[in-house]
Amino acid sequence: MWRKSGTWLGLMLLLSVLSGCNVTESTFARTASNAGSAFAAAATTLTYAHEDKITYAYAASSFVNFQSELSGTDQALTAQSAVDTRTLHHLLTLYKPAIQVINAPCLSGACNWRSQIEVLNRASQALLKAGNS
Amino acid sequence: MKKQWLSIALGVVTAIGGFLDAGTVATAGEAGAKFGLGLIWAILAATLAVMLLVEMVGRFTAVSKKTYADAIREDFGFRFYLLPLTSELIAESLLLAAEIGGVAIALSLFTGIPWHTLFPFVALFIWILAWRAPFDLIENGPALLGLVTLSFLAGIVALGGIPAHLLPTLWHPNFQRGSVADYLYLVAAIIGSTISPYLLYFYSSGAREERWSRRSLVLNRVTAIVGMGFGSIGSMALLVLGAIVLQPLQISSNTLGELGLAMAKPFGITGSFLFASALFATCLGAALEVLLAVSYNIAQGFGWEWGENKKPVEAARFNLVMTIFLLIAAAIGLIGIDPLQLALFASTVIALFLPISLSPFLILMNDPQYLGNKTNGRFTNIAVICILLLAFLVALVSLPLEIITGGG
Repeated sequence: MWRKSGTWLGLMLLLSVLSGCNVTESTFARTASNAGSAFAAAATTLTYAHEDKITYAYAASSFVNFQSELSGTDQALTAQSAVDTRTLHHLLTLYKPAIQVINAPCLSGACNWRSQIEVLNRASQALLKAGNS
Repeated sequence: MKKQWLSIALGVVTAIGGFLDAGTVATAGEAGAKFGLGLIWAILAATLAVMLLVEMVGRFTAVSKKTYADAIREDFGFRFYLLPLTSELIAESLLLAAEIGGVAIALSLFTGIPWHTLFPFVALFIWILAWRAPFDLIENGPALLGLVTLSFLAGIVALGGIPAHLLPTLWHPNFQRGSVADYLYLVAAIIGSTISPYLLYFYSSGAREERWSRRSLVLNRVTAIVGMGFGSIGSMALLVLGAIVLQPLQISSNTLGELGLAMAKPFGITGSFLFASALFATCLGAALEVLLAVSYNIAQGFGWEWGENKKPVEAARFNLVMTIFLLIAAAIGLIGIDPLQLALFASTVIALFLPISLSPFLILMNDPQYLGNKTNGRFTNIAVICILLLAFLVALVSLPLEIITGGG
């Protein structure tokens, strides 16, 4: 009984030490960083697809995974918001067009893929900055 | 003599090709993308541990003619045996789901078809292979294909080698604000994914399938040390590629496809296909090994007839367990969790249970009734104690880290 309690106490202590000593990110920072990283990966994937470094199939498959990873990020950011309303609004303003690119990436040469890459990069940079601040 | 050297060469080659799996790919790629070269030491430490453990379990089986699971049940009793078995069932069902997902993602990268759609077909393909294919094909086929992982080394060379600015991250990793927990989490996941107990049960059962004896001890030692040693090169090369290509782009490798971008940069489409092929081969090989390892473990522990070279009707319960376990893993995979996240989670769960699976080693490997004059020496016992201490430490921190990092 005492040993069991001791183990749990140890685990809780470790948990609180790790979370209290700034060795771990807040949930908001983690969500923002992960989304920023995913948008950066999407921008690189789109660039490589148009530079013929990866196939259409490879890019299409990757974007399906980006969709799963990024959908609902706006709600998560709003729910966990640890920043002021203006910053949150700025992030969401950049997120909305970027998620539209994720849902409908321009993988052929018939549309403006360069502007899509810019949209993704802008969202990525803002989210990464919010995650690190 | 010539035949023995051929066996040794094949053993080494399959160990190299079969070293990586979804867990090692996920952890190595993410480690490089987030911390540069700062986690190579964890891969090296885990490789050293797995070399020693594989050598020991192979020696044990070759000399005693008993598998690891057999011996645990015989020496510690049925009640104790249920402990490692239960931990295996929990951890490996998650890992098997991740491996099947890894194969599905690899095929998805080739075809563009979403991996969720391919998942049930991959599960069926794995079941057919495990049901009908002989042991040699399962052991050697995917592992030989897995040699494509050595192309990761070529990728580093084509990118001009390791840039000088990355070298200091070997001893001073890039810690961003609040990323210490991430770092520790990845240490636990790397150790859990490299020292997977399924490997020991599979290796031990494989030695019985191939009727190893004392004459196989050289083959065992060379396979364990040289094969596993070189096998870790693929894992380290992936980490380095992540550090060279993905880290500057601020891509933290949250999906398996992102890792392929690191190979596409130097080699273009060929590079992305090499990555997808490597992912396919390593995850397929690992899925078959995990599936068989669990089925072997249960059949051996319960005293049932077992053997991949036997017809299903001759080892009916062994094959039934295999089918049920695959169905459980497929059900987990069909929930739709990304295979990379699942692989990372499985690696931490494995790390949590490592002490349970590895503790019997210390006693069994010193029992002359099993090993005669081939028991462990002082150095090997000290090494096992160190590995167990490491396993206990990792088990202690893996759960809190999983909670506070949200799974990396």
